[in-house]
Amino acid sequence: MAAIELNGVTKRFEDDEGLLDSVRSSSDADAVTAVDDLSFSVAEGEVFGFLGPNGAGKSTTINMLLDFVRPTSGSVRVLGHDAQAESVAVRRRTGVLPEGYDVYDRLTGREHVEFAIESKEADDDPDELLSRVGLDPDEADRRAGGYSKGMSQRLALAMALAGSPDLLILDEPSSGLDPAGAREMRDIVRTEADRGATVFFSSHVLAQVEAVCDRVGIMRDGRLIAEDTIEGLRDRVDAEAVLRIDVDGDADLDAVRALDGVSSVETDGDGLVVGCTDDAKSRVIEAVEAGGATVADFETDSASLEDIFLAYTEGDDSADEPEVTA
Amino acid sequence: MTLESVARKDFRDALRSRWLLGLTLFFALLIGGSAALFYGVLLSGAGANSETLFGLSTAPGGLFNFSYAGMLGFVLALIALVTAHGSLIDERESGTIKLLLSLPNSRRDVVFGKLVGRTLVVIISMLVGFVLALFAMLFTGGQVMFASYAGQVALSGLLATAFVSIGIWLSATSTSQRQALFGTVGLYFIFAVLWSTVATGVPRLVNWVVEQLGLTALTAPQVVQMRLFIKYLNPLRAYETLVAELYGPAVAARLFKAGLGERLAIQSTFQESLPFYFSGPFILAILLAWIVVPPLLGYRAFKKTDL
Repeated sequence: MAAIELNGVTKRFEDDEGLLDSVRSSSDADAVTAVDDLSFSVAEGEVFGFLGPNGAGKSTTINMLLDFVRPTSGSVRVLGHDAQAESVAVRRRTGVLPEGYDVYDRLTGREHVEFAIESKEADDDPDELLSRVGLDPDEADRRAGGYSKGMSQRLALAMALAGSPDLLILDEPSSGLDPAGAREMRDIVRTEADRGATVFFSSHVLAQVEAVCDRVGIMRDGRLIAEDTIEGLRDRVDAEAVLRIDVDGDADLDAVRALDGVSSVETDGDGLVVGCTDDAKSRVIEAVEAGGATVADFETDSASLEDIFLAYTEGDDSADEPEVTA
Repeated sequence: MTLESVARKDFRDALRSRWLLGLTLFFALLIGGSAALFYGVLLSGAGANSETLFGLSTAPGGLFNFSYAGMLGFVLALIALVTAHGSLIDERESGTIKLLLSLPNSRRDVVFGKLVGRTLVVIISMLVGFVLALFAMLFTGGQVMFASYAGQVALSGLLATAFVSIGIWLSATSTSQRQALFGTVGLYFIFAVLWSTVATGVPRLVNWVVEQLGLTALTAPQVVQMRLFIKYLNPLRAYETLVAELYGPAVAARLFKAGLGERLAIQSTFQESLPFYFSGPFILAILLAWIVVPPLLGYRAFKKTDL
């Protein structure tokens, strides 16, 4: 059975909330499609990295897994339960580090964890959970209102770990953490996975997921644009080369883009940066010259995993996308 | 039981914020203090009983028309609304609700857990005031009519709960803290001020329409009945008349604060037989409905909301 299963899930946010807004007529321009016909599944025991730039729809997807947000259409199942109708059953077996949360200012760290243990009807030792995430007893007895972002993040993780959940859903778990904290976070993810838990976590930084993930999905503009194992991505990296060409004159970019084996073409000052398979390199140079430009010089690099991720996620229009969070 | 843990957490938060302490001091001064002042200074010694201040009788010496229950109702309603109006929307705006709903708490547990937690805050602080007032009466030699007094405390608790319920509804349906705040002010204005205007205005409007249609106008007793019925749909007024009934006959309690003309028009009819919709149990049912219905409506809205 799949731990997470999405089938044709779409979420549109209509901007019609509030008393005043309901008087105003809402047009299509007010609606934002945060997630568009999304289907994928995560197997039990898998560590799945959910990647994409800010505003790609990652958090909206996670919010639908937790019933914070309801899909406009499609079905979401988590741990065999309908995510909407049986959300409590889902959350009883799930540990969550949500996005855009806040801690209770007036409760201490320990009280937060105790509340989580109590809600999950678990019998964990709060101190043990707190020490696992690196909050020492002094800090745990302070009110969480005075916590830094990193400490809040650790506290929320301790709450997520309560009750040894079958599924961990972590939304940008490393945000607010320093590099050492991010490494501890990865260690915890690995420990939980070794215990047999399914881990689903999102990030906009590839480096944080590649060390621990079995498989990644890359989202952009509400769609899953790639879904592969880390090995699969590495194979693609090995096949992929980056060709930097110094060009005299104007190259016909469209002709280059149309070639087999070319995945990206970008201009860089006078030069071109072309992502392509190894065997396409000579075709690229031919095409540039056939278009009337002269190739002054060229060099090839092999692409890193990061390059591939950026190639997927950094399109021309990604900068002005609205950030969708809910 | 996660409803219980939500309620406990909410109550602890009120403790930490000193809101509970502040309210307790407030009610200690208001109820306990006024009782101490009244029985200790204004009306010391023999002949003083709990009805003198808390009953439906008018103020000391009968000089002006003052109802302690009416005053207390206004204060309780405001305090309860203020206590409850932020319960859900504050957590939504800060994001703590995501922590709360990441755990296996259902939205129902959250709405009704909040209802329980906030109700306890208002009722406990109010009880302290009533207990202090009781001591004040006992120490000054005032005679306490225990049954009426207990009934009044219970009704005050129900009124406070009703307005916490209304505040929860407001909080569950608001989309911003500002909206909830304006809603609080608006609702309070409606219950405390506007309602009586509507209760007076509706029968007049009906009569005007009837006249325009050339039909027989409502009789004077019918006008009074219609006004009173609308009036007692207001939880504040239902509370006041139920308290009055603790200290006297039902008919007098229903006509409490009614003008002389109205009394003349309706008193004999009521004395013969009080219609069931003006009976104590019916008015109590109205007050209870204000406790039950708003949180259900609030839950229905909150259940559907994207956080």
